[in-house]
Amino acid sequence: MKELNGNGLIRNDEVFLRMNLAERVQHILLIVSFSVLVVTGLPLMFYELRILKSIFSFEKAFYYRGVLHRVAAIVLIVDMVWHSGYTILTRRGRDNFREMVPRLKDALDAVSLFGYNVGLSRWLYRKGILRAFFERYPFWKFENPPEYGRYNFVEKLEYLSVAWGSFIMILSGFFMWNVGLSLKMFPLWVHDIFVIVHGYEAMLAFLAIIIWHMYNVHLNPEVFPMSKIWINGKITGHELKTLHSLEYRKILAERQKAHGAGGAGTGLNPAQAP
Amino acid sequence: MKLRGPILRLVLPAALAVLWAAAPALAGRSDDDCLTCHGDTGLKTELGRSLFVDRAGFAASIHGSTGIACVDCHTDLKKFTDFPHSAKLEPVDCASCHDAAAAAIHESIHGRPHAGAAPITVRCKDCHGTHDIRPAKDAQSHTSPMNIPDTCLSCHLERVRTTLGPGYAGRYKQSVHFRALSKAGLSFSATCLSCHGGHSVQPMGDPQSKVSRRNIIPTCGTCHAGIERDYLEGVHGKDYVKGSQDVPVCTDCHNEHDIQSPEDLDSGVYATKVAAVCARCHDDESLARQYGLLTSRLKTFSASYHGTASKFGEIKVANCSSCHGHHGIRPSSDPLSSINAANLAATCGTCHPGAGKNFSKGRIHVVSEKTENRWAYTVKIIYIVIIGGLISVFLAFIAADLYRRMRIR
Repeated sequence: MKELNGNGLIRNDEVFLRMNLAERVQHILLIVSFSVLVVTGLPLMFYELRILKSIFSFEKAFYYRGVLHRVAAIVLIVDMVWHSGYTILTRRGRDNFREMVPRLKDALDAVSLFGYNVGLSRWLYRKGILRAFFERYPFWKFENPPEYGRYNFVEKLEYLSVAWGSFIMILSGFFMWNVGLSLKMFPLWVHDIFVIVHGYEAMLAFLAIIIWHMYNVHLNPEVFPMSKIWINGKITGHELKTLHSLEYRKILAERQKAHGAGGAGTGLNPAQAP
Repeated sequence: MKLRGPILRLVLPAALAVLWAAAPALAGRSDDDCLTCHGDTGLKTELGRSLFVDRAGFAASIHGSTGIACVDCHTDLKKFTDFPHSAKLEPVDCASCHDAAAAAIHESIHGRPHAGAAPITVRCKDCHGTHDIRPAKDAQSHTSPMNIPDTCLSCHLERVRTTLGPGYAGRYKQSVHFRALSKAGLSFSATCLSCHGGHSVQPMGDPQSKVSRRNIIPTCGTCHAGIERDYLEGVHGKDYVKGSQDVPVCTDCHNEHDIQSPEDLDSGVYATKVAAVCARCHDDESLARQYGLLTSRLKTFSASYHGTASKFGEIKVANCSSCHGHHGIRPSSDPLSSINAANLAATCGTCHPGAGKNFSKGRIHVVSEKTENRWAYTVKIIYIVIIGGLISVFLAFIAADLYRRMRIR
């Protein structure tokens, strides 16, 4: 793979803003509310576990569990409303969302990354097996890892899962909170589905976060022990080059254009930190 | 007996007055003569057993106060002419006056030789006392409701080993019945006698016993008449009357000696424990097969919010009896049943105000969602497939990523 070069226009230690303060606060609110919701909610899925009985040992424990769960739910709802408003009403929010829209490239990226990591195609190619096929369709050779834009397919999947999951959880949770209202509108068997959906969607979200998100932002050797973007919002030129090379190229192209046009410097990029 | 009491009280004093007048001629057999020696607190046998008779206690007793003299019960004293008499006296025979009670005792477990190495013989005085016998309605009597528990427990706490083990009777002291007796001072609260009978007490296994399976319903119903009526109208009571040995009677759910108020945390029918009690039969495969009952009642209840919350100690949520009732449980097919489709809105409405028709459009704790709520089942399957699929993909990606990193290094 050809090494990207900033040509002096992007230094490796230059700092770019990846998450602004509003986005970081939204993310922290999500962490807090999600964690509380999981801790106070999931026990209901595992009612047979003895250990849970010892957690809810003191009197009224179960009552406070419910109160906490609802408070956290309200925090999550507020967070979601804030984020939706932010996404619609601010320029940065709209730009981010445009980058977030899933495209065919994301599916190909996923296949490509997996194929690249496994390396089977490259091995076959070197051995001369299916050479004609690989010559004709070089994509399936998985010679290089995919290049990502501002958001890669992993991040898009996580973001859209949170959006969809929150919608499902808030909707079903609302009707579980207001059983009377729910059963005024729906027959009991529909309400039963709300309960099932709430539980299983929670399981899905919990497993996705604990396995997928935790690996990608914590345990992945590239960022271990933790990517600090969620705290300081910053990403360096070097990280941008290796992790989001398409965005890097875009910024580079803009700067080259500006440089060529008037040599006004590097301050034109809206994504750059002050 | 009942007739004899008043007669005795009239006739005996008169007769005794005559005797007392003739006492000097009868060579010193008046109570005073006896108490000359037996009034001494230090008087003992060679083995150290006290021979003291409390004059005031005897005078206040039913026998003393009606003028019955020492020699009327200790009849063999009449044979003696020299006092102090030395020989051991014969045991007092209460049956000479109390023949009906003696006959009842003779038929009872107390009157029969018990099985075992050292059969215990229960005598009148073991319960009623000796010189200090008072009528049961006297608060100081050994057999007054207030004192009966201690009287019975003087043997049944440790000495008597029934099939239920030692100390079983002592659990009565933890019961709501005893609390009513001792704390609230309600003398009509149930004591040992109320359930087991007095002279005619029989062991539980005996069909004649007041606490046998056959008789326990009317026995409890003596005080809890309304509950007995409800029970007999319910599905359990109807089978009980037919002689079924499998339906629960009062004690199956409420326990026996240590019966508690349902509001008490220790009660077997406390809100969070009801499900386990019902499940003893309603999760039993063989009973279910025999009577065509649904199984997995506890499992399916536990999976619901009601069941889960209840398991974690929440008492406000519905338990079995909240919806099904308790003493007068009826099958859902019965129009009077609280879980009949027509009554569900009202039943659910006790907790969910304004519960409407929609509460009955669906099934509660079903054995198989596959047949009872097809949509819920489908949703569940879809989720299981999605979760299983997605997590597998995630793990595969992580494995592939780690694999490449290992190879490169």
